[in-house]
Amino acid sequence: MKKFALLSLLVAAGLVLAACAGTPTAAPAEPTAAPAEPTAAPVEPTAPAAPSAGLPDLGGREVTVAVENAYLPFNYIDPDSGEPAGWDYEVWGEICRVLNCVPVYTEVAWEGMIQAVADGQFDIAGDGITITPERAEIVDFSDGYIIIDQRLLVRLDETRIESMDDIVADTNLKLGTQTGTTNYETATTFLPADRIQAFEQFPFAVQALISGDVDAVIIDEVAGQGYLGENADKLKLVGPSLSSDKLGFIFPLGSDLVEPTNAAIKALYDSGFMEQTNLKYFGPDFKITYDDLG
Amino acid sequence: MAHHTARPLAESEPALKPKGKGAGKRLVEIPWWFIGIMVIALWAAFTILTSANYRQAFSWIIVGITVTIRTSLAAYAIAIVLGLITGLGRISSNVVFHNAARMYVELVRGIPMLVLIFFIALVGVPMAVGVFNSLGAWLISIGLEGLGTTLTSMSNQAVPMNIRAIIALSVTYGAFLAEIFRAGIQSIGRGQMEAARSLGMSNGGAMRYVILPQAIRNVLPALGNDFVAMVKDSSLVSILAVRDITQVARLYAGSTFRFREAYVTLSVMYLTMTLVLSLAVQQFERRLRKND
Repeated sequence: MKKFALLSLLVAAGLVLAACAGTPTAAPAEPTAAPAEPTAAPVEPTAPAAPSAGLPDLGGREVTVAVENAYLPFNYIDPDSGEPAGWDYEVWGEICRVLNCVPVYTEVAWEGMIQAVADGQFDIAGDGITITPERAEIVDFSDGYIIIDQRLLVRLDETRIESMDDIVADTNLKLGTQTGTTNYETATTFLPADRIQAFEQFPFAVQALISGDVDAVIIDEVAGQGYLGENADKLKLVGPSLSSDKLGFIFPLGSDLVEPTNAAIKALYDSGFMEQTNLKYFGPDFKITYDDLG
Repeated sequence: MAHHTARPLAESEPALKPKGKGAGKRLVEIPWWFIGIMVIALWAAFTILTSANYRQAFSWIIVGITVTIRTSLAAYAIAIVLGLITGLGRISSNVVFHNAARMYVELVRGIPMLVLIFFIALVGVPMAVGVFNSLGAWLISIGLEGLGTTLTSMSNQAVPMNIRAIIALSVTYGAFLAEIFRAGIQSIGRGQMEAARSLGMSNGGAMRYVILPQAIRNVLPALGNDFVAMVKDSSLVSILAVRDITQVARLYAGSTFRFREAYVTLSVMYLTMTLVLSLAVQQFERRLRKND
């Protein structure tokens, strides 16, 4: 028995060592822990708030921002650094810089995220949420910050699918997406429910596409480009836009952060910050001005 | 067998006898917990029947019931076979068979079911398909065209997610059931084997005609309890986008934001299934005891 214990200890130690050997970097930081301020300049509550623009001053208060950390390019864990990163982090860093607040990012599962904000569990959610009348009944939306198209993501060598019509016509083809998204809702307008595989995260749906479990994924184009960036050798976007929607931040109903956020979004477009960030995350083809958002 | 399974109804005797007399004693013996569950179930049934939202949730979610039942039954059938083979392996004196069985049980029992489901669906099956493909390529290269082409043309799509869900559940439960079978076989006295052998039966024959029939009879209640547990664990396959009742409830909640309706209805459905099954197992156990 003693020998056996010693042996298992050795095996366990070996496993641990092997695991360590494979990871040159340190373990990733806990994303839900203390406020990660990835790229924004450190906020100094004593510093005067926004220059010139006459924006509201939130007096250095903390605001909790819900993100999934699994929705490229809005939020994800950077594989190189192990730190959370993405459009949401940059933009909220800047919004809080001009409004004088401190963003506290919290990793939240997509399913139930909108409900959790509605219940007041978080002040804000990023995560590229499409503005819809149904959602607007339970949460307040900011003004739209970008317009996106819903498109189809397919494998690079796919020849059968040019557009949604091809998927509708060929009953063998399966469509993947994420539960509780407008993409899922759009999919149900084209296909019977049993041909749609709704996963709880987009990375899962994209993985199912790459491994051939589904033949296409319906996704917001900007997110699709994010996954394309990670898998440029495996995937492509096809077909015309299936639906054009605005994305907005969400808040609990009656939140006092809606107005300041709207003012900040406008200021970020005016200062060119938004354009730079959009170009950085959504690729060179992505051009949009605040006037386009109407 | 103190593993994952809570046995909701199998506790017949309270450990401590209350010291009261007369009415007080009877008050304790009334199964209040059961009455409580009945009240909840009646309230839920009443709500589902009378509230439009709950009715809508119910009509959405019930669609997944066939997948839930089919997945549970199919996975359980495979798990019984896996478990019986592995259980025999655990007590076998053949060194390879014995160690292979032990390895399988220890591996599976050391990994959470959720992780196993992910692993089998995203790693195991694609890997197996790759192996089949290369096997097919090799068969073609040695001139076996027909069989080779069959294997090379095998794709991931050939193994849909609901099949992977069944594989994952049966692999997990195969290990649990193996331990039940092993305990059942070892509970039969050594004398039985010796008696059978002295009647001139072979080892295998004695196992098949004398030991196993008694062992299986002894473990039937435990097997029943594990089926109840499997019905509950089948909810985990919703992570593979398999449209069982949990998945359709999630879709419903995601589309309507009626989380309360979705999850109350879903819980009641599982509770109905598990209570009915547990009661059936209990009745069965009683009948077995009577026949002894």
